[in-house]
Amino acid sequence: MDKLLTVTLLRRIVQLTAFVFFVYGAMIFTTFYTGDKLTQNLPALSCAYDMKGGDFCALIPLQHQMDHRVSTLFTQNAGMMEALMGTLITIGTVAVLILILNKAFCGWLCPLGFFQDVFTMIGTKLGLTQLGSLSRETVNKIRPIKWFIFPVLVLILPLLTGIGFLGHEWGNPYCSICPSRIMTTAMTGDMNQIYISQANTGYFILSLIADLLFGLMIALALFVRQPFCRICPILPMQTLFKKIGLLRLVKNGNSHCDTCSSCVKACPMDIYEIQNQAENKNITHSDCTLCGRCVEFCPHDGVMSFKYGPIILLSSSKEGFKKRTKIDKWWKG
Amino acid sequence: MKKTALMLFIAATLWGYGDGAIYWAPHGCDDGKKTASKHGGHGKGESAMFTLMNTEANAHAHLILPDLSEQNLTFKRTTVMLPKPSMGGYYAMVAKGYDTNATFSAMRYLSLQGRPAKVSPTKLTALPKTDLEIIPDPLHREHDRYSASKSYRFLLHFQGKPLINTAVTLETHDTPVQTYTTDQTGAFSITLPNDFKNVQVGRSENKPSEFLLSTQHRDGEHLYKSTLTMPYSLNPNDFWQSQSYGAGAIFIGFLGGLVFYRRTKKGAKNG
Repeated sequence: MDKLLTVTLLRRIVQLTAFVFFVYGAMIFTTFYTGDKLTQNLPALSCAYDMKGGDFCALIPLQHQMDHRVSTLFTQNAGMMEALMGTLITIGTVAVLILILNKAFCGWLCPLGFFQDVFTMIGTKLGLTQLGSLSRETVNKIRPIKWFIFPVLVLILPLLTGIGFLGHEWGNPYCSICPSRIMTTAMTGDMNQIYISQANTGYFILSLIADLLFGLMIALALFVRQPFCRICPILPMQTLFKKIGLLRLVKNGNSHCDTCSSCVKACPMDIYEIQNQAENKNITHSDCTLCGRCVEFCPHDGVMSFKYGPIILLSSSKEGFKKRTKIDKWWKG
Repeated sequence: MKKTALMLFIAATLWGYGDGAIYWAPHGCDDGKKTASKHGGHGKGESAMFTLMNTEANAHAHLILPDLSEQNLTFKRTTVMLPKPSMGGYYAMVAKGYDTNATFSAMRYLSLQGRPAKVSPTKLTALPKTDLEIIPDPLHREHDRYSASKSYRFLLHFQGKPLINTAVTLETHDTPVQTYTTDQTGAFSITLPNDFKNVQVGRSENKPSEFLLSTQHRDGEHLYKSTLTMPYSLNPNDFWQSQSYGAGAIFIGFLGGLVFYRRTKKGAKNG
């Protein structure tokens, strides 16, 4: 058993448990009603449309607050506190959650992240050629998309809807295209979220994007690691608070780092910056999901480590690297 | 007079239903809507006024708030106007009427916005409110609604205990009465009918309808009759949303991914 005991195995167990809780939690615990949810502001894509879910992500309350509350600043001359209180509570809750687990919400708890991981495992076992790392150029082209989605789809369009510039369909445009909405509901047997709307052009476009994106994500996940995570608006939201996160990726590099690049090859988000020289520095990148693969696959003692506050939780080692590469070879056949 | 007649006409979408049992119906008059909009907490276009149908003079009603406290409701003829909601969450409207050998009860739940009460709605539904009670298991979630073509589960309790093998009828505006029977746990499930007519494209263009669940139970000489009424909305998937097109779009997206796979595989082979 010790031979198989790795961070990845531990992560898979945590991911599976989190998936069951976030997708089916209301069937097990008393978390059906919104008021009974754990946080209602999770920095991970657990969907509010899933009626059996244990909790839901912060993006839906953010969009609703922009549409129905923040907009009253402009439409009804509402007081600042009345208009902004809900948003401040959401942001405050997200900040506290990031303080506790930082970006590990993505790598360890997000149901959509796990769903994609499962498809990558299926693709590997089906013998599909895995793409490995995307090129630096491709990564640089993809990265800005999430920085567009978060402010535009989560904040600006819902706010403009609330003010009255746009139709109701733009009140929660991110949820309308989110693959987690389709995935989590479908996983509970509810197929109502798979549709093309003919209500108007806006609804039609959003529903079409949602379905195409969901299909594309599944196909890509068979041979590309974390395809949707690369454009997920949760990452920019987390990035606002990542500096305060107690859990972080720390690098204390040595001269081998320039030529090795094992960490980059292991990284499912293709963060090339982690191979840069760093001396006892927090290198938790905006795209990082704190999955820990770079720590597992670093062949140098103490170069990469997971720290929680001052405590080192896991550190890279030659022994760990040997064990991990052996398991990886066995898994890939 | 004209206004009163119009009010009565609009008031109850289930007028004349319920087989003599009392039941709640929203009163669609301007006063109810104006009050609701002044109160805040209600949805757009909702009324704060409700009519207790088939009622006799001896009926009384109260409201159970989300924190489980109670507030009496005062009848003006057969209507009650809800007070301004003091907190957000589920409210239960309870009405009771008595006859010599019969007890009538009517239930309705409302989800109103406001500062959350921090008491789980499961406690409100679990709280025994009438002798014979139809209990949503669960209620639709906050911000959600009962929708046509979907199934929902309910429990039937008599004096706090499950009532088995008992008939419960479902009535809506345009569908013949359907009868369900409770199972060994006192539970039953209904599927709300898709019986909306003159449907306009867009959810906000179509007003919700009402469904009425009613049941009765005889305990010795005494008859108990109970009802639950709730609004339900049309299901867009029955009208302007196509699920087969949706599945088709997912398939096209999937194919797009496979095309990308072939291209990357070729690229890898060619170095």
